[in-house]
Amino acid sequence: MILNQSLIAADSFEKHLIKRKRKVSWGKKAAVCALMLTSMVDMFSMLVVFLLQTFSTSPEILINKGVSLPDSLTAAQVKEAPVLAIASDKNLYLDQKLVGPVEKILKNPKDLINKLNDIKNNWGKSHSGLAFPGEINLQADKEVASTLVSEVMGILTTGQFQSIQLAVIGVR
Amino acid sequence: MRKKVGIGPKKELNADLNLTPFIDLLSTCVCFLLITAVWIEIGSVEIKQSHGTEASASKKISYDLDLVYFNPTKISLNLKKNGKKIRTYKVSTDSEDKFQNSLSSTIAQKILKIKKGSIDIASATITPRSSVNYGHLMKTLDTLRSHNIINIGVLTAKER
Repeated sequence: MILNQSLIAADSFEKHLIKRKRKVSWGKKAAVCALMLTSMVDMFSMLVVFLLQTFSTSPEILINKGVSLPDSLTAAQVKEAPVLAIASDKNLYLDQKLVGPVEKILKNPKDLINKLNDIKNNWGKSHSGLAFPGEINLQADKEVASTLVSEVMGILTTGQFQSIQLAVIGVR
Repeated sequence: MRKKVGIGPKKELNADLNLTPFIDLLSTCVCFLLITAVWIEIGSVEIKQSHGTEASASKKISYDLDLVYFNPTKISLNLKKNGKKIRTYKVSTDSEDKFQNSLSSTIAQKILKIKKGSIDIASATITPRSSVNYGHLMKTLDTLRSHNIINIGVLTAKER
């Protein structure tokens, strides 16, 4: 900001700066500079507007490491539910915890079914009197074979998780 | 005594806006919104496993669609009327890029317009193959959903 040299058309702060500059200018150059508030406020307001527009109230689910989700044009809002993930290294994770290799679990799904039953029982304890909705979010890497995903879905259905939500990246 | 209106020293019309609380509020807002911002929007696609839906039971005449994959560029579409197969269409392309467009046009032009008017597909069932990856399957689900086929099931298929 270039300071006004006359004291007439200046506000109190500017007057103070001009006086100080005049005093100092006898000796050495003044090292006073005022902050440009107008542009800063402009920038802040634009940032606030942009961030408010991108604000979302949908529940957030974590994407497992090693899972790159496929894109979808017709995605609906994600629901809060346990997350089962099939990573690109063909390991199965339930709520970020490793269950084991998918191939092994497909041959012997007892471990997975037990863990799903634990989730179901915990839900029953905290929501007494309500019917279990059977919702689960399934994340799978887009390069994984579709038959592998369908077999895992089969295990989920037998474990009374009927409403399977396939997690995708929403494309607008 | 009553003060006369319009007489006396004039008040200054210029009022200074106190910017400090304004900037404070804005910076707090920016910090909060930056922390809570969602940069990757995760959505979901609902799937039912290998069985039809209530939609088919409520209508007198219901059409169902079976999609059987052979490989990522070849699929067979079986149209069923009240559970009986009435038509079969095959979609086959040279490359995976053209596949979804070809599938979409077959559904729109041949399947949904089998009669003079358009028909509603109550449910669709997809039989996957091991050569077809999950990303490709999701694109097919997207194509079906874009034609208002929402009740979609995926059959449990062993590695073939």
